[in-house]
Amino acid sequence: MRIQRVKAMKNPREFIVQKFTEYYRENANNIALPTSYKKREFGFILFDKRVMLRHKAFVEPRFFRDFIKSITPSDVYHSAAYYKQPSRKMGKKGWIGTDLIFDIDSDHIRTPCKVEHKYWTCEGCDQAGVGKHPPVCSQCGGSKFKMVAWLCETCLETAKSEALKLIDFLVNDFGFPPQDIEVCFSGHRGYHIHIEREEIKQLDQDARKEIVDYVLGTGLKVSLHGLMEVIRRTGKKVIGPDLNDPGWGGKIARGVYDILVTYSLQQLKEINGINKNTASLIYSHRDKILKSWNNGNPWGSIKGIGIKTWEKLVETSVDNQAVSIDTVVTIDIHRLIRMPLTLHGKTGLKVISVPSKSLERLDPLRDAIAFSKGTLKVYVLAAHRFRIGEEIYGPYRKETVKLPMAAAIYLFCKRAALLTD
Amino acid sequence: MLVSKEDFAKYPFIIEAVDYVKSLDLKTDELSQPEFSAVVTRAETRIEEALIDGITKWESRSGYEIEILSYPVAVIFVSNIDDNYLKRRYALAEAKRVQALLKEDVDEKLIEIAISVFRWNVKSLPLEVYQPFDFSLSFIDYLRNAPGFHDYRWKLVNKRLINGNVFLQKDEFSRLISEEVRKHIEETIKTSPKVELDILLLQRIERIKQRLNLRKERIRINEQPQNIISAAYPPCIKQIYDFLISGQHISHVGRFTLTSFLLNVGMKVDKLIELYTPISDFNLRLTRYQVEHIAGVRGSGTKYTPPSCETLKTHHICPGPDDLCTNIKHPLAYYRRKIRMIRK
Ligand code: SF4
Ligand SMILES: [Zn+2]
Ligand SMILES: [Zn+2]
Repeated sequence: MRIQRVKAMKNPREFIVQKFTEYYRENANNIALPTSYKKREFGFILFDKRVMLRHKAFVEPRFFRDFIKSITPSDVYHSAAYYKQPSRKMGKKGWIGTDLIFDIDSDHIRTPCKVEHKYWTCEGCDQAGVGKHPPVCSQCGGSKFKMVAWLCETCLETAKSEALKLIDFLVNDFGFPPQDIEVCFSGHRGYHIHIEREEIKQLDQDARKEIVDYVLGTGLKVSLHGLMEVIRRTGKKVIGPDLNDPGWGGKIARGVYDILVTYSLQQLKEINGINKNTASLIYSHRDKILKSWNNGNPWGSIKGIGIKTWEKLVETSVDNQAVSIDTVVTIDIHRLIRMPLTLHGKTGLKVISVPSKSLERLDPLRDAIAFSKGTLKVYVLAAHRFRIGEEIYGPYRKETVKLPMAAAIYLFCKRAALLTD
Repeated sequence: MLVSKEDFAKYPFIIEAVDYVKSLDLKTDELSQPEFSAVVTRAETRIEEALIDGITKWESRSGYEIEILSYPVAVIFVSNIDDNYLKRRYALAEAKRVQALLKEDVDEKLIEIAISVFRWNVKSLPLEVYQPFDFSLSFIDYLRNAPGFHDYRWKLVNKRLINGNVFLQKDEFSRLISEEVRKHIEETIKTSPKVELDILLLQRIERIKQRLNLRKERIRINEQPQNIISAAYPPCIKQIYDFLISGQHISHVGRFTLTSFLLNVGMKVDKLIELYTPISDFNLRLTRYQVEHIAGVRGSGTKYTPPSCETLKTHHICPGPDDLCTNIKHPLAYYRRKIRMIRK
């Protein structure tokens, strides 16, 4: 039976390359090059070599377009940096400046569904499956497996809300005009945020690190945002920031407010450094504290909840208010980022870019579809449930199904399906 | 506008002050004439104050003119001596003087300097409304200098950041300006043209050099912990150490080698940071971070050892081995063996 399957099924790799080639043949002319493209470095990953072709530069858009048409890359990148000579080696390029970029990848965000969508592929053959990989592959006997990140709607939603949180930071704290903030869906599991304003291009790595720390809440000292114990005539008293305060002060206050409104007693008990009794005390006085937020001083409203307890609540609040970004991407001034309207080799979806105000309405699993024509019969090795467009597919396990092209290519890219004859 | 002589004397690096000095059209050979002896003496004291106290004094008793003129003369001297430690030390000392003066000056002056000399995007805040803040500075300009400061209160995350502006109190803003002043003066010294000085001035320069050497010697002795035997350092460590003391640039690998070596022979983190301080006074936070990281206090918790001789050779840090070097493969082995030899 094994032999029979191998005969009837084919590794879809050539098919993917052919589809990617078609895509670029039809769409290359619509791909806009980034601003000042002549000063940027471009990078490509090819299907056969898993190394990146770097240090490419183009003096005219048509050269770039001809190039991707001729090589059919699996992934396309350009530098966030500008160089005097972008095609030379790293040390010799002559750095001019770098855009400010942020990367939000659901891989880096703790989501409860993570365990559910484990997926493995065998390194030795084209076997694949959901859940934990077996000790040895039933087909080739190999024992090396690769865990593959499955595209998950919950994870994508989480990444999106992180991106929205980041935009709020960028607009209200950092003062960037919303129309200058560009958001890209990466074509896979996350979002990039891209700012090209002149004044940020010169920021060095130390400065970018400070921006990262701000967004992550790293090194934040609550006393410097107004949470402290003061001595009054009536005795010691805790004071703290207000809900409407700007910057981190307000975020801290709103975060604590959210905790009081939404956390269960159990969740309160799980907060690091808060013991059972204190948690109960907070829980039973929630309403009183919340009310005093409108009139009076919530931080000093309950006897028995002292500065130490508030500090613990604030720590959790800071964690909740901070944005999970991939720090290296922002700090590294030589980073390459995916280019809008090119394809992502792990999904066959395209990178799409939207103005920040449209992010809310963006549906990546619908709006990033690149292959919208035709259907295909494929043999699915194993697949979690997934959505492409408006339809939900799967779960599948060793079965032949007819799928719209985008869904078929998605499974091929994930090495979850084979081509049928 | 900053036009008074007092302003020039306080802030001799501002454009108007520089122009004023230019308009006098002084030649360096005039400097040895008696009418300038007060100026030249004051220039020498400026440098001496920098060396000894780490801050130049605000000296207005003998008149603003002397203050104004002695600054460019001091810059000529420092640039002529061409010693990195002195250049940094002097720029830092002048910056500290400026910082102290700014704190006491009116807000408009601070704004004026920040905008006209450094092109910062800054506004002064109306009194009462934004208590306790006095200035709002664009975060871009803020980040030009603040990341080098070591205290937590300078981290952007601990600042009030609204709409792209960092809210600052006057002493903080003075500190930021003075850091920019320090860089500005370092740059001025670096780009200052070489001038021929006559014998009288050269004698003064000799005097300064002597003081400089004394000062360097003192650092060398003070920073030396008792139980660490510097005579047993291998040539590579000796060389990096001397570079450090003389304020020369040390490569990343060099810094790492020296730091990990000294930590391994028992130098304490704080001592080590002190050692780095004269060259990076304004970058304490980074220094502390790096040193603690290498000491294993931070991050992974692994304490690092210096690279082997082989690695040091490929990085051109090995200055060429001496006799003892031929029998060892690691600078720490050199040190241990040499100590045994010394003790015998
Ligand atoms: S041989 Fe080793 S110990 Fe000797 S100087 Fe070179 S690097 Fe240092
Ligand atoms: Zn296998
Ligand atoms: Zn998920």
